Amino acid sequence: MHLFFWREAWRSFQAHRGLALTTVFSLAAALALAAVFLLVSWNASQALHWIGDRREMIVYLNDEAGETQVQSLQAKIGELYGTSTYVSRAQAWEEFNTQVGDPEILKAVGTNPLPASLRVRLKPALQNFAAMSECAKQLEQFPEVEAVRFGGEWVQRLDALNAGARRTAIAVGLLVALAMVFVLHNTLRLAVLARRQQVEVMIKLGASDGFVATPFVFEALLETLAAVLVALALVFGLQQALAQRLDGVTFLPIEWTLSFVGGALVLAWLASVAALGRILRTVGA
Amino acid sequence: MIQFEHVSKRYGERLALDDVSWRMNEGERVCVLGHSAAGKTTLLRLITHETQPTSGTIAIGTLRGGRLSRAHRALLRRTIGVIYEDFRLLGDRSVFENVALAVRIAGHFSDSDVIPRTLRALEEVGLHGKQAALPGELSFGERQRCAIARAIVNRPAILLADEPTGALEPRSASEVLALLGRIHQEGAAVLLGTTRPEVAEAFGGRRIVLEDGRLREGGTPEHAFMPVPAPQSFEAPHAAQAPPAPYTGGA
Repeated sequence: MHLFFWREAWRSFQAHRGLALTTVFSLAAALALAAVFLLVSWNASQALHWIGDRREMIVYLNDEAGETQVQSLQAKIGELYGTSTYVSRAQAWEEFNTQVGDPEILKAVGTNPLPASLRVRLKPALQNFAAMSECAKQLEQFPEVEAVRFGGEWVQRLDALNAGARRTAIAVGLLVALAMVFVLHNTLRLAVLARRQQVEVMIKLGASDGFVATPFVFEALLETLAAVLVALALVFGLQQALAQRLDGVTFLPIEWTLSFVGGALVLAWLASVAALGRILRTVGA
Repeated sequence: MIQFEHVSKRYGERLALDDVSWRMNEGERVCVLGHSAAGKTTLLRLITHETQPTSGTIAIGTLRGGRLSRAHRALLRRTIGVIYEDFRLLGDRSVFENVALAVRIAGHFSDSDVIPRTLRALEEVGLHGKQAALPGELSFGERQRCAIARAIVNRPAILLADEPTGALEPRSASEVLALLGRIHQEGAAVLLGTTRPEVAEAFGGRRIVLEDGRLREGGTPEHAFMPVPAPQSFEAPHAAQAPPAPYTGGA
């Protein structure tokens, strides 16, 4: 893109510093809100991912199921649902012993009543309540299987939490986008009015809408870039403060940060092009 | 090149142009003479599509009638040079930047295009030594010459001048008229609007007289177009002593 337009944008930025700074701080406020939410989302997603990794399904086996049958079942599970680990009756009793820890209670139980089982770590695509329920139903159809357990209630809660986070992300994203469009539209209107004489002269000289609008679009991009950097700096400060009080609070990964900057710039570009299309029609014939 | 057919323009209750028909050929020199509010500026604004006729048809080159899209209007204006009474220069830019802006609007952005074209236009109007000055630092005559440089820098086929000497003292007015005369001699069609008969005399060429929005003497082109035999000087003793640099637009 021609350097001329960047020079014009910078000239306007300098000529109307008050307006430019007001725009930067207004946008920074909206973007900081989005960035804070991103930070929360990122850390929540990390926590949910950690919990999600621990989602597993326990398939209790019939006492009659022989070694060959169990191996055949494991192969089918591996093909359809995920990786499985065999836990024999003796291993299950040992784990139970370790968990209970009180020999008197164990003596009262007498013989080992625990069945052998398969611990199934599901494929990522199946780690939601609906899929897990369906898997459980299917697994219960196998003759070697006595029962299937997967902690449906907390899986449901986890799914609801994920869905809620996604909905909130969309709502916050929309709110911030609307705020940005509103701020940019009004700023650009003021910027065009402040340079009305120049715009009118350009139009009389035969400047296309693109020629007139491009410096304003670049100015909006410069202001948005400054606002994004301010917002990220604020959120970095917040993360540093939180990290001293809470373990594991991390800043946004580079991919998220770059996406945030890129998204804000794309939005600013779209909003300013749309706004200028309307505004320029009111200036000059 | 420019043709008006039964063009009327109304602003609310006021009829600015009333059934005006006339034409202007390539390379012609035409002066529109009329009192204040006779419709001269409206006529010029109709040519540049800054306003639309209430009725009638206007043809500019191959563009004929109807409301043009914004893109086509911009394209049309890039082929026409316009000079205004109040110069319409950008006060926060140097003389060079004001003229260079028109070059960039025409789609030339590299310095190797912009600088020589701009300097040449400034030289043609005798402002090459003032390229760094701001318009506010120039005399009115120099400002108008700067506006002329901006109008001719892209070598337009048509040059419209709306009362170009209105704000100037006689010597500067003479210089501007002499400059317009040279631009015409180099091949551009020049259409000048003025309220002052002495300016029309000095400018020469064919004359259209507008009175209350109508062409005088019945409004037929034959009557309205009063040829003036030869360009004359306009109180020009000073202009003869210090003429602006020769126009070499066709070179």
